Formats: sequence, C-alpha cells, structure tokens
Amino acid sequence: MKYNLNDLQANAPKTSTWTSLGKLLKLIEHERKNLIWALVAILINSGLNLEGVLIMGRTIDKYIFVLHKNYNGVLINCGILLAMYLVSLVASYLQTILMGGVGQRMLFTLRNAIFNKLQLLPVGFFNQNKAGDLISRINNDTDKLNQFFSQSLMQFIGSLVTMTGAGIYLLSINIKLGSATLLPAVVILIFTSLTSPWVKRKNARNLKSVGGMSAEIQESLNNFKVIIAFNRRDYFRKKFDGANQQNYSTAIGAGIANNTYLPVYSLFSSMAQLIVLAYGIYLISIGQFGVGLLVSYFTYANQFYNPLRQLASLWANFQTAIAGWDRISHILTLENDMVTVDTAAAETSSSLLEFRNVHFSYDESKEILHNISFKLEKGKTYALVGPTGGGKTTTASLIARLYDATSGTVLLDGKDIRSYDPLERTKKIGFILQEPFLFTGTVRDNILYGNELYVNHTNEQLEQVILDANLGSLLAIFEQGLDTKVLSNSDSISLGQKQLIAFMRAVLRNPELLILDEATANIDTITEKLLSDILNKLPATTTRVIIAHRLNTIENADEIYFVNSGEVILAGSFDHAMEMLLHGKRVS
Amino acid sequence: MEKPDIKPKQPGIFSILKPYSGLVAFLILFAIFSNSVNLWLPKIISHGINDYIHSYFTHTKYNINPTLVKFSGAVVFIFIFAYLQTILQTYTSEKVARDLRTRLSDKISRQSSVFIEDVTPSKLLTNLTADVDSIKLFVSQALVSIVSSALTIVGASILLLTINWKLALCVIAIIPIIGGTFFYVLKKVRALFIKSRGVIDWLNKVINESILGSALIRVINSQQMEFDKFLRANSEARDIGMSILRLFAGLIPVITFTANMATLTILALGGHFVINNTMNLGDFAAFVLYLSQLIFPILVIGFMSNIIAAATASFQRINGVLNATDTSDTGTITVTLRGDIELKDVTVTYGQKPALKQISFSVKAGSKIAVIGPTAAGKSQLLYLLTGLIKANAGEILFDGRRIDDYNSESFHSQVGFVFQDSIIFNMSIRENIAFSDTVTDESLEKAINTAELREFVDTLPDKLSSIVSERGSSLSGGQKQRIMLARALAINPKVLLLDDFTARVDGNTENKILANVQRNYPGLTLISVTQKIASVEHYDQIILLMQGEIIASGKHDELMHSSPEYVQIFNSQQSTSNYEVQSK
Repeated sequence: MKYNLNDLQANAPKTSTWTSLGKLLKLIEHERKNLIWALVAILINSGLNLEGVLIMGRTIDKYIFVLHKNYNGVLINCGILLAMYLVSLVASYLQTILMGGVGQRMLFTLRNAIFNKLQLLPVGFFNQNKAGDLISRINNDTDKLNQFFSQSLMQFIGSLVTMTGAGIYLLSINIKLGSATLLPAVVILIFTSLTSPWVKRKNARNLKSVGGMSAEIQESLNNFKVIIAFNRRDYFRKKFDGANQQNYSTAIGAGIANNTYLPVYSLFSSMAQLIVLAYGIYLISIGQFGVGLLVSYFTYANQFYNPLRQLASLWANFQTAIAGWDRISHILTLENDMVTVDTAAAETSSSLLEFRNVHFSYDESKEILHNISFKLEKGKTYALVGPTGGGKTTTASLIARLYDATSGTVLLDGKDIRSYDPLERTKKIGFILQEPFLFTGTVRDNILYGNELYVNHTNEQLEQVILDANLGSLLAIFEQGLDTKVLSNSDSISLGQKQLIAFMRAVLRNPELLILDEATANIDTITEKLLSDILNKLPATTTRVIIAHRLNTIENADEIYFVNSGEVILAGSFDHAMEMLLHGKRVS
Repeated sequence: MEKPDIKPKQPGIFSILKPYSGLVAFLILFAIFSNSVNLWLPKIISHGINDYIHSYFTHTKYNINPTLVKFSGAVVFIFIFAYLQTILQTYTSEKVARDLRTRLSDKISRQSSVFIEDVTPSKLLTNLTADVDSIKLFVSQALVSIVSSALTIVGASILLLTINWKLALCVIAIIPIIGGTFFYVLKKVRALFIKSRGVIDWLNKVINESILGSALIRVINSQQMEFDKFLRANSEARDIGMSILRLFAGLIPVITFTANMATLTILALGGHFVINNTMNLGDFAAFVLYLSQLIFPILVIGFMSNIIAAATASFQRINGVLNATDTSDTGTITVTLRGDIELKDVTVTYGQKPALKQISFSVKAGSKIAVIGPTAAGKSQLLYLLTGLIKANAGEILFDGRRIDDYNSESFHSQVGFVFQDSIIFNMSIRENIAFSDTVTDESLEKAINTAELREFVDTLPDKLSSIVSERGSSLSGGQKQRIMLARALAINPKVLLLDDFTARVDGNTENKILANVQRNYPGLTLISVTQKIASVEHYDQIILLMQGEIIASGKHDELMHSSPEYVQIFNSQQSTSNYEVQSK
C-alpha cells in the first residue's frame, strides 16, 4: 500500500472546490435541524434589515419629498422600523449562536476524524511520510480550517444571505434599474471563477513550501548537536535560507493572488453606484422612479456590494481552508490495508506462532524476506541473530503484525494472524521496539501506558506489583521512582533508561509472546543480567523472541535462528550460530 | 543556561518597521490617497441628486455628465492606488517575515546545543513559523487598516458636521457606543484567545507524540487511549471556541442595532429637517451613505487591536530568542591537535542533579581509552563534554595542555570526530550525510566509507552514494545508520575519535573489522570509546569505569581485574560472550 502523501497528492485527480466542499458538508449532515433554524434566523434578520431600507425610501417618497409633507407619517414609519430592528436584534443573536455552534462542532468532528484516522493507519504510513511534514500538515491545515470555521464562516454565510436579499430587492423594486445595478456583479462573478483556480494553485504551493520549511527546521533543530560537532552551523543556515527564500516567493505569489480581489471588487461596486446614479436619475426624469427609492437603492447597492467585497477577502480564506481541507482529506481517504479478515477455523497447532512461506517487501522494488518458514513453541526462548540489515527487525515486525506478509501466512495459535482482533492480538504479543519511545509524563504513566489493569493502583500498590514481577531493581534506577518526570524526545533521560521503561512496560502487560528487538542494546551488562533474570522468571508459558547480536543475551535460548539476507535458518546449536555469526558473510 | 535579560524597556512592535520605513511610508500614502477619494464619493452623489432636484424645481435641463465624469475619475483613481497598495502590502509584509526568519535562524545557528535543548526545538519552530506569521499579519493588515479606518472615521465625521452639525452629532454618537462595546468584548475575548492557544499547543503535543510513537501505539493497541487523550484536548478547544462564539453572538447584534438606530435618527430627525426645509434631500442621501461608510472602520480598528496584541506577544517571544546571549566563542587557537587529553576535577550538573562528579583522568595522544559503566552513569555526558557540546560547571578540560575553550571551535571540531549513540541521519544523499563537514575531500570520503565497511552496502544501492536517505533513516537498519555516522566522523580525518556505544547496533564481526580498519587507516588516532562490551576493549590502554557520575576505577584490563570488584562483576556478567570473542581471534 502506498502511503506517501506527497506522491498521492501529485497523482490525485484535480478536485474542484465544490466537490471538496461537498465532502466537507457530509461531516455535518446530522446538524440539519440546527442549520435549518440558523437559516430561518438569518432569513428573518436579513429580511427585516432589507425591508427597513425599503420602508425608508417609501417614507421619503410618500411623506417627505412630496408637496403635502406629513411628519406624522414619518414618525409612524419610524415606529414600525424600531419594532423591526428589535426583532432583528434577537434573530441576529440566534443566527450567530446557531451557525457558529455548527461551525465549532464541525471543527471538533473534523479534528476527531483526522486523529482517529491517524490511529487507524498502520506503521507503514508513518514510515513513508516525514514526521515533520506530517505534523505540519495536520497542525497547520487544521489551523487554517479552524480560522475559517471559528472566524469567517458566520460572516461568510451572513454576507451571502444579505447579498442575495439585496439582489432580490434591487430586482423586484425596479427590474430595469435592478438588472443594470447587478451587471457589474456578473463581471465580478466571471472574473472570480476565471481566477480562482489560479488563486487556489498559488495557495496550495505556498502551503506546501510552508510544510517543507517546518520539516527543514525540525530536522535541523532536533539534530543540532551533530550540526555543532561537525561545524556545520552554516548547513542549518543554508538549508533554512533556501527554504525561507522559497517560502518567500510562494508567499508573495499567494499574497498577490489573494489580494487581487479586493480592489477589483471595489472598482465594480463603485461602477454599480455610478449606474444607479445615472440610470436612476434618468428613470426619475421620465417618471418611472422616486428620489426616496433612489436613496434606498444606493443602500441596497451597498448592501449587495459590501458583502460581496467581504466575500472577496473571505473567499481567499475559504480557498485556503479548502486547500487545507484537501490536504487533510487525502489522509482521510487513506484506508488501512491491514484489515481483520475472516478465516477458516483454527487448526490445532502445538506452535504458538508459525511462518508459512512468508515473503515480504516494503515496496515492490526489493524483497526483504524470501520464503520464510519457521515455528515458535509455547514457553520456549528463541533468539534471532544475524548481521545488521539482515532482516531481524522486519521478521519481528511481521510477528507483531506491524506489517502484513506480501505472500504466505503468519499463524498465531494456529489461526491466521490477520483474523485476530487487534486487542486480542496485542494482548498476546508484546514487542519491545529497537527505538524506545516515551510519552511526556512520569515513569508511572509510561510503564502503565496502554495497560488498563493497574490504572487505579496507588503508587504503593503498583510498586508491589512491580516487585512481584521482579522489576523492582529496575525501578530503583530512577531517582524519584514512579514519579520521575519524563519528557518525550529529550535527553533528560538516557537511552538505556528509556529502554528500561520500555522493558517494564512490556513485561507488566504479561504477554504470551514477548519480542525484544535489541531492546537492551544500550543497557550495561550488569543491568542486562538483571533483565535476563527477569525474563527467566516470566511464567513458564511465555514464549520469548530475543533479537540480538550480543551473544550473552542469547545463551539461554532454546533455539537460535540465524537471519541473514532475507533468509531465516535454524542454527543447530549455539556454536553453530556462533560460527555463522562470526564467519558468515555480511550482506547489508 | 541564562535566561535572556528582559530589558526594562521592550522595543514596541512598531520598531520592527524601522528598516522598512520607505516602503511603509509609501504604503500609508497609497492608503490615504485611495481612502480620502473614497470619502468624496457620497458627496458627488449627493451633489448629483441636489442638482437634479434643483433642475426639477426650476424646470431647467439637468446635465448629469459632470457628475459622471467626476465619479468615474474618482473610481479609477481609487482602483489604481488600492491595487498598488495591496501589492506593496504583500511585498512589504513578506519581506519583513523573510528577514525576521533569516535573523532568527542566523541567531539560532550561533547557539549552543544546550540552548536548543532548553528552549526546545518545537518552541523555536513556533517562533519561526506561527510567531513570524502573526507579525506578518500585523504588517500586511493592521497597519494599513488602522490608518485608513481612522482617516475614514475622522473624515466622514467632519464631512457630516459640515453638512448638518445637529444631525451629525446624533449620528457620530454611535461611534463611542459601538467602539466601547466592541473593546469591552474584545478584552474578554483576548483572554480566551490566550487560553485557546494553550489548548492548541496541547492538541499539537498529543498529535506529535502519536506520530512519533506510532509504532509503539500499534504494538500496544493503545489507539483508543490516544484518541481519548485527544478527545479531552479537542473538547476543551471546542468549549473555548463556544465561549468566544457566545461573546461575538452578543456583540454583533448590538452593533447592528446601534447602527440601525442611527439610520432611524437620520430618518426621523433628517426627515424633520427636510420637511422644514433646513436640509435638502441630497444631503439627506449623503447622510445615509456616510453612515454605511462609518460603521465598518470602527469594527476594523477593534479587530486590528487584536492582531496588534497577538503580534506584540509574538514579537516579544521572538525578541527573547534574538536577545539571547551568543555562545561566546573566545577561542583563538587553531593549531593541529596531538591528542593529549586531560580532565581535572570536572563536574557537570543538570539542574540540581550532578551528572558527573569531580572527574579527573588523562589520555596520551594515540592511545585507546574505553569508558564502561551502567546505564545513566554519565558516559554520554562525558563525551559531550569532550566535544564541547556541554560546558563543565567546575574543573578544567585540557587538550594538549590547553583549555578546550581556548581553541577556536571550528578548528577544534574539525579534528574531533564524534559518533553519536542515537542515529542521526539527515534527509539527503548518503554522500552528503557522510561528507557532512565541508572540509571533507573525495579522498577522505573514500577512506571513511571503506573503513566503516560501507562500500559493499553503498554499491547495492541504485544510486550509490547519491541515494537519498529518508528522514530518521527509516529505510536503513540500525547498524547501517551507525556505520554511516562513523563514516561521517572519520571523513574529517580526526585526531581524536569519540564513539558513544558504537558497538550497540553493529554485530561483533563487523565491529572487529571496522576497528581494525580504523587502526590501519588512521594511525595515531586517539580513541575514546564508550561501550558495554569488555571483550572488545580488553587490550585498550586504559579502561575507565564510571558509575553514577563518578570514576570508580581506571587502568588496564589486567589491573582492573585485580583491583576493582565492580569491574570483575561486569566482566563476569559477560564471560560467556567473551569466550567466543576470544576464540574468534
């Protein structure tokens, strides 16, 4: 399965703004009721405001700009207007709160959907995409959506309705003058639809260069010690300057594209006023129109073109949001190719785990494992040894189903491993990864990570559990015990200590099959001895798979597999394994 | 790490514009041009209407052409200047942003790695992206908007007063009402914005950790748990969003209502004046038109005050980085190192906790030293100290009898090679990864590749040395990464080579070959190797046993076997392994 988002994006068919919008709206189908009420409020509010203008124009024509002036009439109409404004006060409040609420909840749903998808995707997805790029994509792009939904959406819809309403009034009061007034709007519409692909493209390009820039920064800053030790402060500067300069030029492109609308819209809205003035006075002179209505007409023209102008600036926001949404929806459309399959009944099998003619490749070009078959019995200890790059970690990843075999089957307890519910599978299989990862929090948080069993234990109770599991000596290495603070991705805690935490985490989960992938590589040999004692004291039914090239870690293994250049061979004895390891040709 | 001094008088956000005063002056000038002409438009219309009414009553022929010419001219003028203004605006703001980023990165590039760790890369990332963006927004929008809005409000008010001061006063009264409500609400909103920023950071932290820890999460099947974590942060974000929304929901209707009241006043009072013939209908129309021009700028100023507040906060954060004290590179010595190293009573503390206590030892040029010890003994810290990545809190570190700080760091680092424990591979070609230092020649690159036993591996790659390594080296095995890092250190032809647990991810066979290669190809090299395996360092000139930041014992293997029980204990724990290693020789 291809998970590289940049490739996917490059190959994806161009989607139009409206299809993207359609997909977005699907997310709020369940909000229909709220949307309808919001719409009602918007209609009442806009309707009253627009009608108010008309009443004003008629007041002028009927009571003020006539021979028999009637101030009472003026005052009566003022009273009517006041009542209308009060109603619209309430409607306007409801409009904002309902519409904005939908926007906020939509943002909430959207964020959840993205995060949920991230959790559903397999490890392959994270290996095929740069972490920095991924983080920027999700953070920046959701932020773009956030800005649109929490700030622009209400204005956007409000403007849209006011504009439409004003347009209807313009046309219905006097069709000729109305059409003439709306003529510039048609030009604007054509202009916009012609330019919007260009604007969208410019913005997408800019977003991409922003992503590239943050990836650059992250890579350099996280590896700053190498940069210093190798005297390459200029490397950081140079790489960054390149990204910065590129971002500068794409940002100017996007900025100019986004800002073109405003002056153009203003120009045409002034044109409309000009038309109202010239054509309106002509119509009055031939007796088809009134001066009061002319004043109203100016207001309507304003109410039509001002929101239009606002829409112009919001349109750019909208485009950025859609571009962001597009990038996000690429993630949302990814499917996990590692689904749980239905399978025939389990075979009765004495082996806990079996590889049957397994082939595997990360991508089509290069097969990593060739036709592997082996069996792991319950309660035994297995060692996978072999030179670096020989396929040990890959084999272990297949055992834990981080990846699926390209062909062949992996059987767990006689059943295809793909037929297990993830919960069931991960309960059976523990995997201590080569690169330990800790979450920000305490040692306790990290040891209990994903372990429901001891969540409600007090520290004292938990310490007892740890002692019972023979892990006490490891905990003692941490100065403040369970409460030792841990920062993710920081040097405040050594790699060896991280590995200890990962070890405790895995052992406390009490798996049937425990895989240690070089899990003690950075731990000193005394502590390592402790670890191996702990491993020996695990329940007799626990199967252990130890990946190592340090030989003492595997002396107690019942069976040793030699893994090299994509082959897994059973070594007859420890000495045989030694022989192969010492003299076998290294194939990287 | 010293915190950057906060000077009593912080330069304001406007100081950022100083180098761009020419551009900014033009920007403001263009804005003034287009806006003042814009104010004139209702006047033209009202004259047009008045002229028509006049001709209507006097039954003369009305000529609309002068009005149309004036109006068209004004519109075209506005368009030209508004367009120029937007281009200038984009250009200026992006230029400010780019220059600010360059200044920041330049500053960061001159800092120590301790500084980066302390400030944290993610904060610096925010400084370089989000903070710079908010300043960009200030330059591109706030500046011009405030000038043009102020101009419009003052201009429109004056024009209204000249038309009819009584009615004008009633209309102008809405300015403080709308402005006041707006500022009151915005003040509350701002507090919520700050809170929401914190929540967004929280959200991002959960996302980041879930990406970086993706493999672990799948091994443990804790996706649901991560989702719950996220849900908590996300719900909080939604709740704050709703609170902000409620404030705005109250604000907007009040503003519209106030504006409507002004319309009503114009109708009632203005209508009265027109009926009394103290005001003409054109002026009445002008009032209605100016009113719609008046309200928007008041809102704009309010919104802009928000942008300014955000930009000021960002500017302060950026200044914090820009004003941080530079790492003082006072060293001037550029001589070639022999490789004698001496540590005298060196102590390093992290916060309250000493990481290394009173470390003293000396190393002769060309000798091989091993540092062994349990996890968290301070071994890596010791190596960091020797590369100058961290500074000692007390004591002296001498290279060839001279303090490490007296060496010019460039010259020093080009002679000391360091292989880090964690794999640090950049997203570029293998060649660039190995020839990372720019002093590397083709010849030394070749030698380093052969020494690190990478030749065979490189030859299997489709693009050989030009193959691009993905970030975090996910396409490489642990051992391959380690060997690339070794080659990177060797490529500079170092006088001193520091290995941090190099053997951890390289198999014994390869390790032996590599060490023999190093011996042969880099004669006279001083080697300090942090390791777990005694077997591979038994023949070293000195073995230092480090525990809890202290040197427990040091000496040759045979000596330690007699003098140090801790050493013997470690040795015994590795016995079985050693037998095989010995046999293989």
